[in-house]
Amino acid sequence: MAANPLAQGLGVRRQPDPCALVVFGASGDLTKRKLFPALYSLAYRDLLPERFAVVGVARTEETTRQFVTAMRRAVKQFARDPFRSDVFDRLAAGVRYVPTDFADDDGEDRVGETLDELDDTRGTAGNRIHYLAVPPVAFPVVVREIGERREREGWSRVIIEKPFGHDLASARELSATVRRWFREDEVFRIDHYLGKETVQNLMALRFANGIFEPIWNRQMVDHVQITVAESIGIEGRAGYYERAGVIRDIFQNHLLQLVALTAMEPPIDFTADAVRNEKVKVLRAMHTPGPKSVVRGQYGRGWIEGEQVVGYREEPGVDPRSMTDTYIAAKLYVDNWRWADTPFYVRAGKRLARRETTIAIQFKRAPHPPFEEIAGDGMRPNVLLIHVQPDEGVSLAIGAKVPGAGMSIRTVHMDFLYGGAFREGVPEAYERLILDAMLGDATLFTREDEVEEQWKLVDAIVGAWSRDVPMFPDYAAGSWGPAKADELLHRDGRSWRRH
Amino acid sequence: MGVVAEVERKLARARCRQEADAEPDLRTSTMTHVVWAPEAWLPTARRVLAGLAERHPARTILLVPVRGRRSGIEARATVEDFETGDGREVLSEVIELRLSGDAARHPASVVLPLLISDLPAFCRWRGQPNWESQALAELVDVCDRLVVDSSEWPGIPAGYGNLAALFERIAVSDLAWRRGLPWRVALAGLWPGIRKAERLTVEGPRADALLLASWLRSRLRRDVALRRRAADTIESVRVDGRPVELPARSGPPTASDLLSAELDTLSRDPLFEAAARAAAR
Repeated sequence: MAANPLAQGLGVRRQPDPCALVVFGASGDLTKRKLFPALYSLAYRDLLPERFAVVGVARTEETTRQFVTAMRRAVKQFARDPFRSDVFDRLAAGVRYVPTDFADDDGEDRVGETLDELDDTRGTAGNRIHYLAVPPVAFPVVVREIGERREREGWSRVIIEKPFGHDLASARELSATVRRWFREDEVFRIDHYLGKETVQNLMALRFANGIFEPIWNRQMVDHVQITVAESIGIEGRAGYYERAGVIRDIFQNHLLQLVALTAMEPPIDFTADAVRNEKVKVLRAMHTPGPKSVVRGQYGRGWIEGEQVVGYREEPGVDPRSMTDTYIAAKLYVDNWRWADTPFYVRAGKRLARRETTIAIQFKRAPHPPFEEIAGDGMRPNVLLIHVQPDEGVSLAIGAKVPGAGMSIRTVHMDFLYGGAFREGVPEAYERLILDAMLGDATLFTREDEVEEQWKLVDAIVGAWSRDVPMFPDYAAGSWGPAKADELLHRDGRSWRRH
Repeated sequence: MGVVAEVERKLARARCRQEADAEPDLRTSTMTHVVWAPEAWLPTARRVLAGLAERHPARTILLVPVRGRRSGIEARATVEDFETGDGREVLSEVIELRLSGDAARHPASVVLPLLISDLPAFCRWRGQPNWESQALAELVDVCDRLVVDSSEWPGIPAGYGNLAALFERIAVSDLAWRRGLPWRVALAGLWPGIRKAERLTVEGPRADALLLASWLRSRLRRDVALRRRAADTIESVRVDGRPVELPARSGPPTASDLLSAELDTLSRDPLFEAAARAAAR
């Protein structure tokens, strides 16, 4: 049949196929705070397929009506868009809740029956997205049960929350389970940082602007600093955090992904494999020069925004002698032509002075400033600062002459605030990622080999840590981390960026 | 002091006053937005701008041609601030220039020095342009995109011919075309059944209906008769008597929404150009 001449140039966004989204762990915080508000915002913008349904699955005993009421409250509280009954009701009409333990045969059948009913009444055509918002320990069981009941009609995809595994061995084991039932292009491993607009803007900044690429290398860049700082504590997640620590919670995924995106070569296009191939090359080339180049820490008591907060070991559910890391700083190298010998200093932590995720590219100093020495005191190297959150945007620190006689130089910041230039609301990461999964676009999800490379680095660090016993706690809540982290840079004649 | 220097001075003062309110301010612009609004159109133009400025931080230059033989420019410059929600404010600049006599015939002389360098300039022309006027010719030459709403024109379909004459000089948008987008999507969804359509019945404004029918003709490469019943917006569309369904979606866009969408478009639209040319025939 001839191509549709009417469809040309309509500029209409690709619509996802009809489908049902099955959320395992639907009674959890993620569903309330992120997933349902994201679905509402997609509905608000008419981005969901016409024929769409949501099945919430969890052990909590409640009816569909009660679940919908709870989600209505959640949307009102957490969605970025104003609440509109007509939009919510349209979405809610396709919502079902199945209270069950999915590992039971009976539970699986009830979920299956509900999906069949939705195929009939909502026209979801046998297409399924399974969202695993369950504790990591439940991943293998749920994947196996979904896989065994996979239907022949329609497509089936699975979205898996981080962390994907606990170390390289468990990640490989989980991958093997997943691979039994799903092809790689049906697996969407979420690292929600990749759904953030500013993380994507990093690629726009690098690859849509001719001025940056020529200076984005070891010749011009002195070093890179990446900070993922949180001011909050563990928020009642002691069970998870005691096992994970910051190294598995943040470093293994968000932080290493930010390094990969900062250091990667330009992909030939913006397709899933092209982008992920380049990231994997960086991850493979990445290493830390030795145990002394990695610092771990744990917060003690301190003050956050005028309030005294307890130390990690005093948090409910935490072992009073816990050796879990809540802070990590590391010097990493990417051994390739572009970055050889250029350090990437990265740090992440809980209960730090403020919430901030930034990537700072510090350039080499001007080789010979022709000003008097005294006037040169204010001369600092140029820094391109990418604010991932909050205040999403980009700043460039440049030297400028102070008005008046003489030639005094001061560093000033040129700011581009993302929300200032583009006043359309910035979508939440989960909106983008859920929509992409519906469309089958895995560009902003991590691939199996990426995850494995990330675990290799983490395993090497954890292996070295097992040989010593640090003195914890070693930094006060509300500070910028342990003194050893400062020493890590001082040894190289550098310091962490001043906040 | 010339009018441009006076405007710049007023803006600088206004920015200083804004900064004195202790909120950190950002001066962020994505374009210069020139609006040609004769006095009869001024209230509507201001209403649309009020709903638009926050979405598109810009320098807006409102050109108001007024009666009077003596050449003159009356300038007002203000700064508007919008909270970004994080304790900062974004500043947008609005320059209102009332032009009379020669100044109204040569607006580019004042617009050109006020354009923000390196950013696109959009010109929203309110009402039907005087196609032969020097003012239109000059603004077409200094701006990157001309935005009209042909439903504001008394002279259609002839006006589409005049508009088409500008296509090689400037990218053009028509809000009447933009309003028809959901219907074009719905009609495209009828392919291939619509391939041999003979009759389109539209209940809606004349311009919107004409452009919809012309698009269908130009895309199908066949004559499609148009029947129309008047309405303020497109209420219904039928193809050979069969109703076309619009998906159950949120309500119709506001005038600000429509203009906002056009201000995000930078390149020429060959489909619109073909439809406008077909409508002119």
